[in-house]
Amino acid sequence: MMSRVWMVAGRDFRATVGSKGFVIGFLLTPVLITALVIVAPRIVNSRSPQIQGEVAVIDRSGSVLAGLRESLSPATIAARRASADKRRASGQGAPRGVPIPVLSVVERSASAEVQQEKAWLIQEKSDLPRHLALIVIATDAIVREAGKPEYGTYELYVSRGLDDATESTIHESLRQALVAARLETKGLDPGEVEATMQVVRPNAVIVAAAGDQAAQRGFRRLLPFICGVLLFVGIFTGGQVLMTSMIEEKSSRVVEVLLAAVAPLELMWGKLIAQLGVCLLILAVYTGVGLLALVQLATIGLIEPMLLVYLVVFFLIAYLIFGAMMLAIGAAVNQLADTQTLMGPIMLLLLAPYMLTGIVGQAPNSALSVALSFVPPVNTFVMLARVASDSPPPVWQVGLAALIGLATAAIVLWFAAKIFRIGLLMHGKPPNFATMIRWARMA
Amino acid sequence: MEAALEIRGITKTFGTTKAIDDLHLVVPRGATYGLIGPSGAGKTTTIRMILSILFPDSGTLSVLGKTSALEAKDRIGYLPEERGVYRKMRVDAFLSYIGRLKGGVPGKVEARAGQLMTRLGLADALKKKCEELSKGMLQRVQFVAAIVNSPDLLILDEPFGGLDPLSVRLLKELIAEEHQRGATILFSTHVMAHAEELCEQVVMIHKGRKVLDEPLAGLRRQYDTSTIHLEPLHGTANLMSLKALPGVARVRLTDDGCEVGLAPGTDPAAAMRAVATAVAPARIELARVRLEDVFIRLVTDSRATDDSKQALRTHLQGLGGEGVLA
Repeated sequence: MMSRVWMVAGRDFRATVGSKGFVIGFLLTPVLITALVIVAPRIVNSRSPQIQGEVAVIDRSGSVLAGLRESLSPATIAARRASADKRRASGQGAPRGVPIPVLSVVERSASAEVQQEKAWLIQEKSDLPRHLALIVIATDAIVREAGKPEYGTYELYVSRGLDDATESTIHESLRQALVAARLETKGLDPGEVEATMQVVRPNAVIVAAAGDQAAQRGFRRLLPFICGVLLFVGIFTGGQVLMTSMIEEKSSRVVEVLLAAVAPLELMWGKLIAQLGVCLLILAVYTGVGLLALVQLATIGLIEPMLLVYLVVFFLIAYLIFGAMMLAIGAAVNQLADTQTLMGPIMLLLLAPYMLTGIVGQAPNSALSVALSFVPPVNTFVMLARVASDSPPPVWQVGLAALIGLATAAIVLWFAAKIFRIGLLMHGKPPNFATMIRWARMA
Repeated sequence: MEAALEIRGITKTFGTTKAIDDLHLVVPRGATYGLIGPSGAGKTTTIRMILSILFPDSGTLSVLGKTSALEAKDRIGYLPEERGVYRKMRVDAFLSYIGRLKGGVPGKVEARAGQLMTRLGLADALKKKCEELSKGMLQRVQFVAAIVNSPDLLILDEPFGGLDPLSVRLLKELIAEEHQRGATILFSTHVMAHAEELCEQVVMIHKGRKVLDEPLAGLRRQYDTSTIHLEPLHGTANLMSLKALPGVARVRLTDDGCEVGLAPGTDPAAAMRAVATAVAPARIELARVRLEDVFIRLVTDSRATDDSKQALRTHLQGLGGEGVLA
């Protein structure tokens, strides 16, 4: 029996790995991800046109205009962005690479009527210079009114079509000018205050038997999510190929030729093993590339070897559960379009835990995280996310989750095998879940 | 001698439909059996149960001495009615894969596949992808896949469907060769002529029940209809006058002449002489029993009207059952 299973697996593995679609997808996916994450934003931003135009200012406080002129100058904007890049974590500032706008300040009378001035912003697209924004600085923006706990602020009116980056730049410039004016009013040097506020935050150093190593909190926080992505991509890719190849074999009627040579169960296992091989290949290459990058960055110590073992274990369990489900659906329907209604609940089961991995990684030992670790089929994702987190769970919990996962896989495989055997030979109206349950009873 | 196939009272139900009802069948080793019946009679379901693709609700099977075909798959060749190939796979790789799945020895499988393909005039197709072949060529490839492992039991489900006459003849030769080699052959068809030409024994299934299991020779004797086919020499001959002859029960006009039905107990030889004397014949012969006639007799009771019998006959002929027992 086993030799036939391996023969089926071998053929299907070669057929998948040797197909142009696989080679292109396999090589293209990492390239696309890299492009999306790193290259695309740069290209998009670098091609943004440089904004030039006028900003009208009604300074009712009477002491911001000069500072605002300075803070809206291209040199100051450039310096601010450089500083923001250093503290990227704050999430402030315009995106990197966006051309620095050239904004000239047009002073308006402090007593000007806002309603009238707003009309200045309405102009034809071809009119130059462009009227970009109107800023109205409150009277008490620099000196608080007596009895008021807060400073006054400003109003910002912008023309139609002003991009978010420029608007954000104006806000930043205003903030800088207002804070500087307030400090100067109190006799403080804004540069000194800025320097006083800055505390360089170094990376923590992990002290371990193997030696000290710089901790990368960001990466550690991301690790559960990365594991979730690997699991999701592997299972979804494998399951999808399993389902489509099964539909193809059924619709081309080659399946009955195969059933003359192998038992349905042998065919099912052969197919599962073949795609498992394909998925492990993808997983190994992607994980390998990731590890190589960590070695290059001298941060390989961030990955516990046991995490890789758990990744494989929970991937195997999740693959068996979802792969068997998708294979059974492939065997039950006659064409890809028929899978839509049946795949809905399965996609939900697959997406929900994948989305949870980020949350679980943040609070790996919360009551919800612990409870979900034992609820199949989400427990495979959840437990892997916990294992990859900063506070891994006790080993007994990992073992129990794996056992529950294995038991679930056994039940799903048993059920899927029954649907597989009957569904393979069924043609005509596509089945629903009730029909599939009836088949399982029939088999 | 141990039977190649033994079916004991199998029953299979799909939902509320009883596809097979208490079927018993014994096929001796080396025999050629025809499983016949109209579409939907239960032939394919029976074959699928023999192959353990489906399992009976009750009853037992024995295939090549094993209690399940799963234990003897390597010794069974099967050409399903719904057959296909891996479109992107090369023909030689496909045949090698199927042969090896059935326990074929690497090297030998490929050599036999090559021989058979050459025999079927498809040697050039071996290196091509399956999707590059015509439908007729693919059907021949599929037949090769069924016999590439020199099976002890060859099961063919509607093997000649959609084939051109030349391919049908080639396949019949190959089936005969497999039979001579010692293989037991069970094939299902609704084309009665093929069964009549190839089978030693005929098993008829109707609505899941076996209605006939007889050797062809015995059938001929048992169901002899005593009908004379007459094609007159002159188109103007009064064929209805034959009704007046002694021993003639009925006369039915056909496109090229008439069918003369004889009354029970009438000597066919004397009747033929009398008919030939009354109307000069261009051709006269004693009709042999047609499987469709046997089938109609078996599945309709004596009270059935001629119209209902004719409707069933038309149905069978529509399926291609126009054969005459050879």
